[in-house]
Amino acid sequence: MLRRVQINDLQVSFNGEEILKDLSLDVSPGQMYAIIGPNGAGKSTLLKSILGLIHPQHGEIVLSCDQKKPVIGYVPQSRVIDDDMPICARDFISLGQVSSFFPWPSRREKRILHEMMIFTDTDRLAKKPVGKLSGGERQRVFLAQALVRHPDLLLLDESTANLDPDAQTRMMELVKKAVHEWGVTVLFICHDFQMVRAYADHILLMTRGYYKTGDVQSILDDQAMLKNVFQSSFDEGVTHHEGSASSGLSVSASSR
Amino acid sequence: MFQYDFMQHAFIAGTLIAIMCGVIGVFIIARSLSFVAHTISHIGFAGAAFAAYAGIDPLVGLLAFTLAGSVGVGQMGVRMFRRDASISVILSLALGLGILFLSLGNIQGNYSRTLLFGSVVGIDLQDIWQIVAITLFVLIALCAGYRWLKFDSFDQVGAQAAGLPIRWISIGFLLLMAVATSVTIQIVGALLVFSLMTVPAAAARLYTQSIFGMILLSSLIAVLSVWFGLVSGYYTNAPVSFFIVAFDAVSYFLGIIYHRLMERRRAVA
Repeated sequence: MLRRVQINDLQVSFNGEEILKDLSLDVSPGQMYAIIGPNGAGKSTLLKSILGLIHPQHGEIVLSCDQKKPVIGYVPQSRVIDDDMPICARDFISLGQVSSFFPWPSRREKRILHEMMIFTDTDRLAKKPVGKLSGGERQRVFLAQALVRHPDLLLLDESTANLDPDAQTRMMELVKKAVHEWGVTVLFICHDFQMVRAYADHILLMTRGYYKTGDVQSILDDQAMLKNVFQSSFDEGVTHHEGSASSGLSVSASSR
Repeated sequence: MFQYDFMQHAFIAGTLIAIMCGVIGVFIIARSLSFVAHTISHIGFAGAAFAAYAGIDPLVGLLAFTLAGSVGVGQMGVRMFRRDASISVILSLALGLGILFLSLGNIQGNYSRTLLFGSVVGIDLQDIWQIVAITLFVLIALCAGYRWLKFDSFDQVGAQAAGLPIRWISIGFLLLMAVATSVTIQIVGALLVFSLMTVPAAAARLYTQSIFGMILLSSLIAVLSVWFGLVSGYYTNAPVSFFIVAFDAVSYFLGIIYHRLMERRRAVA
């Protein structure tokens, strides 16, 4: 069980360009954190840094866990799946079961796989090739693959972005259920504020170099600040005028 | 037919190699490494030609060149190596080197033909033991790394996010592929390694949607193709390799028809 996620003074740069600057964050277990912010704010970079796919230049990410090593599940916005590669959904989900050394699955693993497929409502897709599934079905299969490893922390990188409203709600309801049943901690990137209001416990608002955390109400109800963040980012991208993010923002440089 | 030692040896060696190729082929196809496998087999041709020129065991030359080639591919990065231009350059260079070594060693045409097209009926008992050892090594290594390899081959994004060492998995697999290629070249030759290592696996994925099913079916098609090749070659005196390739190709084209029929049925349902 995850006890805490602590990010201290994280700094990530690519080719001399600073993507994350002194980002600090303290995440409580069993909570859903929405990460919002304009494009280029470093939201995906943050998730990839937590996954260990990107090595920060400075700062640390501490995942305190009862077990030796915390398990992290990850569901990206989309995956490149060869439509002609006819792997059935069951096999695709079971790919996540990598903790055992034996090539064949144990009874326990078979049971967990079955339970997870029922949980995510992918059991009726079991024999269908993943390449032939609809967007919503695929995302549920990807979620099932992430959950089959019983993650302590689940990272969703705009996983519902390409889905219709019904599929989005269905997906997020599953995530919420996983939080309630297993105490999974969730960080999810989302651009849909209605979705954030419905499912998040806390929000991390990100824009280049400035971050603010708070409860859903306090951040989303501050319309002036939100407008400022998204508008200034747009201006910065178009005109590159100096200090657009810092000059106009009422957000603090450090997180709570 | 089985009263002859050479036919018994051919059946034993061919069956073992077919099983190994059937298994490894599924991962070669999943990782889109068909042409990398083809290039490594040509590098193997250069290695075997060098061994003949230097007067050493052909298997040693094959292994040395294919393993070095795999490490080279691993260093360059598989993605870069998949590019057409890189493959053409290295494939041509390997063939050129092979011809150079054959010429420098003043090696007879028969040997060149064996290297390029294989000689399954020329296998002696010592070769059998070599093949048994190498096949077992490859199969045990594939079993040991099965889950990681499977994850990385069919869903690299997921494998990377799950913290698997994907670079080491990739290099390890390339090395195994080099070993498997070296031993297969001795049976079907450098030009036709492709047929045993990729066609049965490519055919298998048209018939089944389970990864384990693909492995079983791919091995079965490879084994049947070798048996068909040996029996047909024995009775017709035509090259065994031709019959192996023909069987694999027919399995593949029948697979395409089967796959289309199933697709149509699914669409109707």
